[in-house]
Amino acid sequence: MTLQGRLATLNPSRTIVLRGVVRPGTLVEENELPTGSIPADIFRLEWTGLQVNSAASLPLVAMECSINYCTDGTAGNGGMDRGRLLAGMDAELASTLGVEPHTVGKMNYAEAGAGVAPVAMGTNVFWSDPVFGAVSAIDGRLARTLMLQVFAYQEAGEL
Amino acid sequence: MMGDLICANRAVARATDALLRAMGGRGVMLRMPAPAVPADVTEQLGIATPTFQDVPLAPVVYRKARATLVAGEAARCELLVSATVVEAIVGSLAFESASVLFATASGILCGDELFAIVAAAEEQVFGKPYVYRLQLKEPLAQVV
Repeated sequence: MTLQGRLATLNPSRTIVLRGVVRPGTLVEENELPTGSIPADIFRLEWTGLQVNSAASLPLVAMECSINYCTDGTAGNGGMDRGRLLAGMDAELASTLGVEPHTVGKMNYAEAGAGVAPVAMGTNVFWSDPVFGAVSAIDGRLARTLMLQVFAYQEAGEL
Repeated sequence: MMGDLICANRAVARATDALLRAMGGRGVMLRMPAPAVPADVTEQLGIATPTFQDVPLAPVVYRKARATLVAGEAARCELLVSATVVEAIVGSLAFESASVLFATASGILCGDELFAIVAAAEEQVFGKPYVYRLQLKEPLAQVV
C-alpha cells in the first residue's frame, strides 16, 4: 500500500480501471481475478520467493517481490515512444524505492475495511535496493521485471 | 440499400439462433464479478472478495475443440453463443463491446463447473456479428 501510495503521488495519471473502478496503476496479481490479458502501463507485483529465519526470537521473513511492467507506447505516436515510456516507468520505480530510509511501519489490514483503519504493528517492513532486469521486446511491447527483497519480522499472533 | 443490409443482418441472426437451437442449443451462465468497492484496500489486498452475478446465455452450443487430450493439461472446448443474446447483455450491463464483456467475465458456468474464457472471437456477415465463439478451458481440478 505504501508503494502504491508513493507511486500514485509521483504520477497520479497512472491509473487502471478494474471492475468498473479507477485505481492507482499498481496491483498485486494474486489478489485480482485471473485473467489472460496483461495490462500495459501499470505495475504488477508478484510474490515469488519466501525465506523464514527462525533463529532469533522474532522470526525474520524475507519475501522476494517481482514488479512486472510493460508498455506498447501510445497509439497516437504509433508506439514509437515506447522506449521513453518504459524509461519513465523505470524512473518512477527507482525514485520511489530509492527514498531513504528503505523502511515503513508494519500495518495489519486484517480487520480494516470501510471506515476501519489498519492497525499499526510494533515492527517495520524494510526492503533491499531494486535490481532491474533486462528489457524484453515481444511484438513491439517492451517489458521489464524489477526484483527486490522485502523483509519483516513475524510478530506474536501472526500466522 | 441500408435497409436491405439491416434486414439481411436480422435474418442471419435469426437463422443462426434457429440453427443453434436445432443443434441442441442449451443455456449456460456468464459469471460476472460485481463492481469493485471504491477505495477499499481490503479488496486490493485480497482480503475481501467480490460477489458474482450469473447472467443467462442461451442458446449456446458446446463442442470439444481439442479431441486429443494431453496429460496434465485442461481440455479445451468451444462455446458458440448467439449474437442476439450477447448484444442484449452488452446493452443491459452497459459494456462498451462484447470483447470487454468477455474479458471482464470470470467464466462460464455449465452446470456446476466454471470454465475459464481463454479467447473470444466473433463471426460476422455484412459487418455485424451473428455468432460468438468462446474458447473455454476446463477447470484444472477436473483434469484426471
